Amino acid sequence: MRAVFLASLRTYSRRYVAAAVAVTVAVAFVVVVGILTSGARSGLMDGLGAPYRNAEHVVSPEGWPSSELDPAAVIAFTERHGENASAIGRATLPAHAGSRKLSDTTTVGPIATSQVWRWQELSSGRFPSRTGEAAVDVYAALAEDLAVGDRITIGVGAAASDVQVVGLVESPSPPAQASMYVTWPQLLLWRDHLHLGSVAVRGEVGPLPEGAKALSPEAFTAERLTHVQNRVDSLSVMLLLFAGIALFVSILVIANTFSILFARRLRDFALLRCVGATRRQVVRSVRREAAVVGVLASLTGTLVGVGLGHGLIAVIDALASAVPMGAAELPVPWLLGGFAAGLAVTMVASWLPTRRVIRVSPLAALRPDAGVDARTRTGLARPALLLVIGLALLGVAMDRSSTALMLAGGGSVFAGVLLSGPVLVPRLVRIAGAPLGPTVRLAAENAAHHPRRTATTTASLLVGVTLTIAVLTGMATWRTSLNEQIGRDHPIDIALTSPTRPLTTDLLTRIRRTPGVERAIPVYGAVAQVAGLHDPIPVVTAPAAGQVARDGGVFARVEPGKIRIDADAFGKDLTPRPGDRVTVRAGDRRIQLQVAVGTGWGPAGVVAPETLATLTDAPEPRAVWIRASTGADPARLGADLDELADPVGATIENGLRTWESLDQQLQIYTWSALGLLGIAIVIALIGIANTLGLSVLERAREHAMLRALGLTRGQLRRMLAAEAVLLSLVATVLGTVLGVGFAWAACETIVKPALRDATMHIPWLSLGVVVLIAALAGLLAAVLPARRAARVSPVAGLSLD
Amino acid sequence: MTGSRHDPAPRLPRTAASPGAVAARARNLTKTYGRGATQVHALRGIDLDLPRGGFTAIMGPSGSGKSTLMHCLAGLDQASGGTVTVAGTDLGSLDDDALTIFRREHVGFVFQSFNLLPMLTAGENIVLPLELGGRRIDDAARERVRLLADILGVADRLAHRPAELSGGQQQRVAIARALITQPDLLFADEPTGNLDSTTSAEVLDHLRRSARELGQTVVMVTHERDAAAYADHVVTMQDGRIA
Ligand SMILES: Nc1ncnc2c1ncn2[C@@H]1O[C@H](COP(=O)(O)OP(=O)(O)O)[C@@H](O)[C@H]1O
Ligand SMILES: [Mg+2]
Repeated sequence: MRAVFLASLRTYSRRYVAAAVAVTVAVAFVVVVGILTSGARSGLMDGLGAPYRNAEHVVSPEGWPSSELDPAAVIAFTERHGENASAIGRATLPAHAGSRKLSDTTTVGPIATSQVWRWQELSSGRFPSRTGEAAVDVYAALAEDLAVGDRITIGVGAAASDVQVVGLVESPSPPAQASMYVTWPQLLLWRDHLHLGSVAVRGEVGPLPEGAKALSPEAFTAERLTHVQNRVDSLSVMLLLFAGIALFVSILVIANTFSILFARRLRDFALLRCVGATRRQVVRSVRREAAVVGVLASLTGTLVGVGLGHGLIAVIDALASAVPMGAAELPVPWLLGGFAAGLAVTMVASWLPTRRVIRVSPLAALRPDAGVDARTRTGLARPALLLVIGLALLGVAMDRSSTALMLAGGGSVFAGVLLSGPVLVPRLVRIAGAPLGPTVRLAAENAAHHPRRTATTTASLLVGVTLTIAVLTGMATWRTSLNEQIGRDHPIDIALTSPTRPLTTDLLTRIRRTPGVERAIPVYGAVAQVAGLHDPIPVVTAPAAGQVARDGGVFARVEPGKIRIDADAFGKDLTPRPGDRVTVRAGDRRIQLQVAVGTGWGPAGVVAPETLATLTDAPEPRAVWIRASTGADPARLGADLDELADPVGATIENGLRTWESLDQQLQIYTWSALGLLGIAIVIALIGIANTLGLSVLERAREHAMLRALGLTRGQLRRMLAAEAVLLSLVATVLGTVLGVGFAWAACETIVKPALRDATMHIPWLSLGVVVLIAALAGLLAAVLPARRAARVSPVAGLSLD
Repeated sequence: MTGSRHDPAPRLPRTAASPGAVAARARNLTKTYGRGATQVHALRGIDLDLPRGGFTAIMGPSGSGKSTLMHCLAGLDQASGGTVTVAGTDLGSLDDDALTIFRREHVGFVFQSFNLLPMLTAGENIVLPLELGGRRIDDAARERVRLLADILGVADRLAHRPAELSGGQQQRVAIARALITQPDLLFADEPTGNLDSTTSAEVLDHLRRSARELGQTVVMVTHERDAAAYADHVVTMQDGRIA
């Protein structure tokens, strides 16, 4: 049997190429996930450990993260050790650069003057060496538009102190990171605002502050890491989920390869049995073939994965240095896991086709070749049961908003569809191909002739397409609903409100000229004292709010007799509750109004035009409401407008920030998911090319006969292309229907309970693009097999065995 | 994808009046396979006229070049030298697409085995050449299918797939398919090679009836003397030459 085994490998090795590629891709996927995880971990480790690299002990709270150290005790402890200790922590303070206000939550941390304890890395300028100097984190500098040489006032009132920026630094340790760093004596100016989380110590630790423990730097880093690690780990689990999908798709591709090859070789096997090979010998030889394919493909996949993973880390380091990525050591468990998964997938996928090999009787060799591909009856009972159970589960899931039930139901429905594939898919292929002329009809018949093979081929694509469409539709729904929600919460991107002075037309013109402003409208009103509010506020009316508001101006439509107040702008100061009746007084006129609340337009009360008319005869411009253009940088636009607002004593309400970052996050999620699913789809397309390529070999005589009967080369190529396109179209259309259905179920189960008034949003354009891409990819998958098929001359094809 | 409706290659003019009563003519036909030491001269200068409307058998031992000759006459393969003229067309002047369309319109085939597409029913197999040519299956075509199926005794088998037919029935369906386009020439390469003697006799009888009743020109390649006995003319080949 050894000779047979080797000869089979030699003869058929080329036919395993596509299947091997599928396994390779899936294994490489797993390994890349492993390497990225390990890189992220070591990056975190390096970063976390940076402040303690020269320490012998790290003093930190006993009950971290739920307890803190008393700053006074820590300061005393640190002072006692002098040069041999360095405290790590920060103070959160307001800050100004000249007259320009910086973030209210500017964080200030210590920077050591000695090389031993300094962990920040200099990016430009120099390190601060004395009181009055500061280093700014490069990203903070970018966001706040700060540069070396700027003067910054940190703190307000008595605690205010001026520093000069002398350098920009990078901060590799996320937990110790601050926006700016000053020397320790300077930092002690704000000792009342200081939080100190840990102290790095050299030499004897001595008596510890109360509630503190001393650890080795390694033990300390490990403790902090496990905390952050959970996030990295859950990310890896999600990535592994996608890798699992890719592996599943590979199973389908390989199973198809083996069943096609074995069907073709069934007579060989029968002949072997005729000449005396035992059943076990035949099976063992076949299993060994699968094992060789599995081992080689998994090995290649592991190597490719290692290379790709390290390449990706280099790319991430170069493009996004903010992401902590360290040099990954080879994650041995992942490598072994990936390899084992690849091998297991191959063996599992070859199992079913091998069972047919076992059943072959020696007599099969003596029968004429017709009827070897006996049509297997496929029962519809099991798939139907799965469908019914799945749909019922989905119904209950929507009713109870249960994600677990939804996943179970979705899985069951999908399994039902996959299992009914051999019955369903050939019919769909026939229906799709029927009206398109004889070549396409022949292609459809070809596909329908091997129901199982066709079903498995489409199943692999179906998995990827269904998930892609579900993600696209789900995300579109989520995004539209979220946009509506945000539109209600932040109707005005940026509002500039002036309670002190009316705004001038000149200011409005300058606002409109600011880059990033798409539209700006003046809002008229009068300053009035609202009972219950500390300061007078502008009471305005804005019939034109719809021009700039994200909610179409709904928030500004207030009934006469009511006043709508921005709850966020006053926060705790808002003593009038919704529904209260309050007196509103402007000059000598007064009126009773009922309070309504909303959010997102700043410290102004919105009323109906009639209401305003009773308060004043001459409304003045008191606010400018601004709609930012798409892609405008919220921080920059806010800062620019702030500069215009400050001199006239106006305030800025920036709702754009929240808006943009949420939108960006969703975009990133969507594209990551699509990118990861793309891998499964690529494997599925390799599968289509594979099935087609193998059946081209198998059907060489059929093709030769058709050529003899008058099928031109072009027609033959088109027939094969049509077969691939039909397969991918059926898979895509079926996947689109399923995907939209699943997205709908998810919308009802998850989105609706979370966001009231959520409505299903189907991204028709994206769906169209997916279907088109799938059809084109199917065409692409047919190129090689079709060219090979058309090269064979009719005579050569007829003389084949 | 419906390329068959508009083929790029030019349609061939049908020559209504072929010279004399000759359906196909070969002159100094040679065919060589391979080169150097492994060169095989399968045909060594064949001159042959096949009479229109006749049933000709090409006889000879295995390896004498019968199939090669048939392939060259049928436009399945290009000859190495000499000329082949079928229905007034010099096959040497046609490219692959033109040859394919020529076969579709002028030639029918019956092979030793593997004649039918397994995924199509017998009826669908019969009309396949019409469909490949982009012709619509009109009433006249359906009428002809019925006529051929009757003559060949497969009328009650049209809805079956090849796997459900006996070897003899498969060959008779193949004959019907070859005749559906009313070809100038029908070639059969060892059509009875896989059949038992009773079934062989049936198939051969049908071939002869096609020639007689439908006026078809039939060329059959065989190495069996019994089969050749059904033909009107017998051409015997020996070592690439007509003996
Ligand atoms: N494709 C080919 N390549 C090389 N030699 C061939 C090929 N086809 C046929 N031959 C050779 O040409 C000769 C004639 O073959 P063939 O026409 O098939 O004979 P027959 O049909 O009479 O048995 C034989 O010697 C055969 O080996
Ligand atoms: Mg022969």
